[in-house]
Amino acid sequence: MREFHDYNPVAVALYYLGVTGITMFTMNPVILGISLFASVLNYTLYAKGGIKPHLFSAVLFCVLALLNPLLNHNGATVLFYLNDRPITAEATVYGVCAAGMVTASLYWLRSFSKAMTSDKLLYLFGRLSPKLSLILSMSIRYVELLRVRWRKIQQTQKALGLYDDGNLIDALRGRARVLSILITWALENGIITAESMDARGYGSGRRTSFAMYKIRVSDGILMLLCAVLAAGAIIGVHAAEVSYYPTIHLQLTAPWSIAGYIGFAVLAGLPVMINTKEAIRWHYLISAG
Amino acid sequence: MTVIPNQTVRKVLRYLIPFVAIPALVLLGATVFDEQRYLILSLGVAVLAILLFIAGIEKKNIGSRRMVIVAVMTALAVVGRFIPVFKPITALCVMTGLYLGAEAGFLCGAMSVLISNIYFGQGPWTPFQMLGFGLIGLFAGYLSRPLLQSRVLLALYGVIAGIAYSFIMDIWTVLWYSGGFDAHLYLAAIVSALPYTALYAVSNVGYLLLLRKPMGEKLGRIKLKYGV
Repeated sequence: MREFHDYNPVAVALYYLGVTGITMFTMNPVILGISLFASVLNYTLYAKGGIKPHLFSAVLFCVLALLNPLLNHNGATVLFYLNDRPITAEATVYGVCAAGMVTASLYWLRSFSKAMTSDKLLYLFGRLSPKLSLILSMSIRYVELLRVRWRKIQQTQKALGLYDDGNLIDALRGRARVLSILITWALENGIITAESMDARGYGSGRRTSFAMYKIRVSDGILMLLCAVLAAGAIIGVHAAEVSYYPTIHLQLTAPWSIAGYIGFAVLAGLPVMINTKEAIRWHYLISAG
Repeated sequence: MTVIPNQTVRKVLRYLIPFVAIPALVLLGATVFDEQRYLILSLGVAVLAILLFIAGIEKKNIGSRRMVIVAVMTALAVVGRFIPVFKPITALCVMTGLYLGAEAGFLCGAMSVLISNIYFGQGPWTPFQMLGFGLIGLFAGYLSRPLLQSRVLLALYGVIAGIAYSFIMDIWTVLWYSGGFDAHLYLAAIVSALPYTALYAVSNVGYLLLLRKPMGEKLGRIKLKYGV
């Protein structure tokens, strides 16, 4: 089963950059609506369970939508006055659209973060510069290693009777000692690692990465399809006229725009469609066996 | 410490970016695009600036040892970002800059943001944060002599770094939210971020003063023992 996130990291990264980019640089309400719906759907399918991020997004959406009319008093249609400041219909609508833009972008970026695991990041950066990818790979490895070592040192200190949790000052002092040991250990150990790597000829050849992602035909097709759809969406956005101040002026239904919306909808729904297709195929493969 | 090994590529990048690419982007923004494109332009300039710094890193070609020490410091900074409220990332980048040089400080800042954002979420803010923390480490390296001598100056550097970082990131927040720059929104963003900015500056100073001696001893010892 080849899910969307299993495609070549270059293709996946370009896809998310494209979708987020289009969302971020437009104020077209139709595009934003599609984007918000698709991004929430996409994220929900990847991050199973957990209502917390959705709750956060909902609160953020409300705060951002309210912020603009309260601070921005442009616009011709005054709804009412608050503390002698006019609250305008235009600023309210703009606020809702801007909030939708930010929320949708955040959802896309969350999915992007889920897709770009550390090995994919390394694959992308490793070709740029071997030294940079050395720092990246070692740091990523050390993050986990340091956590494990922190626990080990703490347990040893406890067993030696040097660690007291009951008293605040003693607890802090104990923690500082653990941190000190941790850093010394990591630095010394790092030098040994470096010696060992030098001795084995690190950096003398091209760097290879653990996961070998080849650019397959399907990756090429995916990238091409995304490029065409994104180009269509951008043309569509440019064909529509959207301005919020001083009065709302929306000219959303030019033929090119409608084609652009359809293109963007397909683009935004691509991961979900690919995953659904693969799931159906998998289902039939199992039942056939 | 050479990050981009091919000398010609490095040279071309170092001249191309400041003299051609960034002016071209700014000109394009002034003439072709309308106001809505500030964000994409600033993003482009930030990415180019990071590339420029990386292309510029070549001063001491000592090799893996220094790189590994930078990697360890970066990992410590990443782990430090998981500590709630008080985050030592600035202090660790400053320490790296002070003891291992400006380039190391820049790499530590930029890389720790890139890696920790795997856990905290990547986004268009990543290049700005990378540049921000990278510059904090870089300037610490350039100012290492006075900062190492005076505790007061070091604390002051922590405060300035904290406030400047928040203010610059808030410009970006406003650009993203409203397309163009809006002074009212910027003021609102700064005021609403004030408690965080204050907390951030305080934790910078606290960690810098706390870590100054022990961390300095450890890094100094490693430098002396292994000739990093």
